[in-house]
Amino acid sequence: MTNVKRFISIMISSVMLLTILAACGGNNTNNGGSNGEGGSQKLPKISLFQSKVEIADQLEAMAKKYKEETGNEIEVWGSAGDNYLTQLQAKLNAGEGPTIFGVQPGAETNKFKSYYYDMSNESYIKNIAPNMDVKIDDKNIGVPIGVEGFGFVYNKDLVDPAKITDLASFKAFLEESKAKGINGFSLSQEAYFLIGHILNTPFALQADPVAFIEKLNKGEVKMADTKEFQEFGQFMEAIRDLAKNPLEVTYDTQMGDFATGKTAIVHQGNWSYGMLQDYKDINASMMAMPLAGNTKLAVDIPGIWVINNKASADQIKAANAFLEWLYNSETGKNIIVNEFKFIPAMTNIETKDLDPLSQAVSEATVSGNTIPWALTHFPQGIIQNDLAPVTQEFFLNKSMTGAQLLQKLDEVWAKAPKQ
Amino acid sequence: MNASKNRAWYALFTLPLLTIFSIVVLIPFAIGIYYSFISWDGIPANPKVFVGFDNYVHIFQDERFMKSAWLTIKFTFLALIIVNVMGLALSLLVTSKLRTSNIARTLFFMPNLIGGLILGYIWKFIFTDVFKYVGENTGMGGVFFNWLLNPDYALYAIAVVFAWQMAGYTMIIYIAGIQGIPDDMMEAAKVDGANAWHRLTKIIFPLLMPSFTICLFLTLSGAFKIFDVNLSLTGGGPINSTEMFAMNIFNEIFGYSRYGIGQAKAIVFFVIVAVVTLVQVYITKKREVQM
Amino acid sequence: MKKTSKFILEALLVVIAILFLSPIYIMIVNSFKTRSELYENALALPSSFSFEYYAQAMQKMNFLTAFGNSLFVTLISLLFIVVLASMTAWMLVRSNNRLSQIIFMVLVSTMLIPFQTLMMPLMQVMGWIGNTLHIPMLNTHGGLIFMNVGFHASMAVFLYHGFIKSVPIALEEAATLDGCTKFGVFWRIVFPMLKTITITVAILDVIMMWNDYLLPSLTLSDKGLRTIPLSTFYFFGEFTIVWNLAMAGLVLSIIPVVIFYFIAQKHIIKGVAEGAVK
Repeated sequence: MTNVKRFISIMISSVMLLTILAACGGNNTNNGGSNGEGGSQKLPKISLFQSKVEIADQLEAMAKKYKEETGNEIEVWGSAGDNYLTQLQAKLNAGEGPTIFGVQPGAETNKFKSYYYDMSNESYIKNIAPNMDVKIDDKNIGVPIGVEGFGFVYNKDLVDPAKITDLASFKAFLEESKAKGINGFSLSQEAYFLIGHILNTPFALQADPVAFIEKLNKGEVKMADTKEFQEFGQFMEAIRDLAKNPLEVTYDTQMGDFATGKTAIVHQGNWSYGMLQDYKDINASMMAMPLAGNTKLAVDIPGIWVINNKASADQIKAANAFLEWLYNSETGKNIIVNEFKFIPAMTNIETKDLDPLSQAVSEATVSGNTIPWALTHFPQGIIQNDLAPVTQEFFLNKSMTGAQLLQKLDEVWAKAPKQ
Repeated sequence: MNASKNRAWYALFTLPLLTIFSIVVLIPFAIGIYYSFISWDGIPANPKVFVGFDNYVHIFQDERFMKSAWLTIKFTFLALIIVNVMGLALSLLVTSKLRTSNIARTLFFMPNLIGGLILGYIWKFIFTDVFKYVGENTGMGGVFFNWLLNPDYALYAIAVVFAWQMAGYTMIIYIAGIQGIPDDMMEAAKVDGANAWHRLTKIIFPLLMPSFTICLFLTLSGAFKIFDVNLSLTGGGPINSTEMFAMNIFNEIFGYSRYGIGQAKAIVFFVIVAVVTLVQVYITKKREVQM
Repeated sequence: MKKTSKFILEALLVVIAILFLSPIYIMIVNSFKTRSELYENALALPSSFSFEYYAQAMQKMNFLTAFGNSLFVTLISLLFIVVLASMTAWMLVRSNNRLSQIIFMVLVSTMLIPFQTLMMPLMQVMGWIGNTLHIPMLNTHGGLIFMNVGFHASMAVFLYHGFIKSVPIALEEAATLDGCTKFGVFWRIVFPMLKTITITVAILDVIMMWNDYLLPSLTLSDKGLRTIPLSTFYFFGEFTIVWNLAMAGLVLSIIPVVIFYFIAQKHIIKGVAEGAVK
């Protein structure tokens, strides 16, 4: 019957259409390993995935250079900053994870720990600066991307750091600035810039920050009962009462206000210098948050590269070859310092021509004048989901005291899920 | 013979689509239901522990989730009304005999083209800069201030942006409906002396029922699932006053890494919403006129 | 009387249009500004209208490749959606039995599932298909098209379903008597009558797929496969946006859709003379 014939022909053609679709996609994935010319032992193509959009261009340029020098290929995957972890998780779930990827030390590193290749015996590990290695079960699982630091970033023309040494002088400075029509100090509305970073100081000043966080998780200690935090509460009160409401300030406007001299001090890190320059060249430097006598900048590793142990043995070999090239070859070292503009966490890479903020961080690192980033050990998601809303309430409700802020922080901390 | 032939035709017409749909939507959804009974952090290599109904029990004690569910319902109701009133009004305006209709149709539609995140950021400028400026310079500070900093107003801010985006969208569908109304019907009504209002309520509205069904449903599902604008405009703040449902789930899954609980939330909310909307679709469908 | 009311309507339209356009104005002026200009005043006109940021954005986004990719994915997906969904919807309306009702309800209700809850299982399913059936669903345009069809099918069926009822069934019956198969009836008689709603479906789906970021971001990894929204990732840092390039990129990416819409809408609007409200 004609109907049946037609039925069959339609079925066949639609199946064919789908096959063609799948096939035309297939071409794209296969062109990786096919061209066997060049070096005798060509390594398979590997992929690299990371969250720092700021160096996306430089990474791609690096991939080109890597191919020129070694003939091996590395594909850099792209991701918008706040979408990175979602994408990474999705790709791992599909069994299509990248060969090398970046994670933050602390809670995030723990989350993906079943994926790490043990780097302990690789040569590029040997040059990691003291205390800058990241280990799980005594195995080196990642190589640090670099070092970053944050603290009070100040305008040298408006601030004399020697005069801001404790709560009283900080307050006096805010009042003085206010009288001059300048905003003395600014946080900004993004969760990390509003509470995450600044709250790091009282944590980092504890004898053992990680143990303190564990105790806090178990409810054995309270921020409200701890001396450094109590002073932190007073700092926050001063900021609320004597400076611009950070909820009205975005990272963009914070930098703009700082660059144009409308704000004297911002709580920021050396990563902000690139953005600062978009506005104006400014005479800036970084000092410690003078909480409870603190004189140290918060300096730590913002991220590490890890190798995916689910990749094939050949790919792992290729990934090791790449990291070896990046951290030990002259070209690679040059890229880290001059292209990525990272402060290296390696003893075999020299720093030079750093911007003023990175210079301050680098000096603090060399002299050991640093406190760690305790915040990376906070329970996952807590800054965004729990601490920020409480802080917003604090800044919107003028009658809330610093002590009440601490109580609320304790409360949400107790309730928040801990892995 | 005839019956089996009909069945073959039925299969031929529906199966290709249903197969793709099942692979892409239904199977993942079923897997999602399964995940709502386990405790897992979303990392494939990490253990999945079966916990029965624990996740469901947990979410009913989660005040924040309850609050966010209520907020979403409130928002959806608000959005439903604003979007459809605006969409319908715009569609009537631009299908009428006006010189500017043609260009207006494109203009009203433009907001739709600015996707998700950027849209929220642009509106952030409007609420923080423009509103403040207007408020300070006109003395209408009671209306024009930064809505995003006020827990009571931030939700309305999202509703405004959502309406701005969706009104043009529903307008398209209403236009399609209006264009489907036979001209002779309108002419006949005119000859019979029906005035504009009567033509609107007695002819246009009843014949637009399919469009109402569609638009109400699309607004409903869009509002229930709102995420991008929520994230970029308020990020759920201030003080969690605008953390809506999709965002709450997202925070659970990717913030706290509690995949099972996030899935259970999704299932519960899906069931509630599905019942509500299917009732809505059922009711409006019943009122549609078959020709 | 008639003239004044018309004038009022006309004026109203202009006012609404201006209000509607203000965010778009912000988008356009800021695509010409430096970061510090934007900081000074986000609303002011730029100091110069140089297209340097557009050139930069195009170069960074690898615009032509991304444009080709977006075009390919969007159009092929649309083709499948229109063909498959219209056929399905017609069958569901015309064989109005229990099964059809259930299928329809399932299709419609799944539109309420937030994508965020589907994405992990979806990726697992796609990974499984790739590994066991050796059909590459991930990191291919074909796979993305397949998923687009699956996700947008229900809305298209829903739209068609509502409008198929306005197609007079008598015509179909006559054609069947003349010896047309169901296939013939649908493509020769019914589908041409669905032109208005087909264009509506096309407009709505094209925008959604053209602007979609999340799904492609999960499925496509290789640089050469990126669609336009994916290729703008360079401009979105975790805490800030490179405003001028992001806005310029956005303007560039929506121009094709505006043109498409402008052409498409002409086909669904009857002559100006036959408007509904007079």
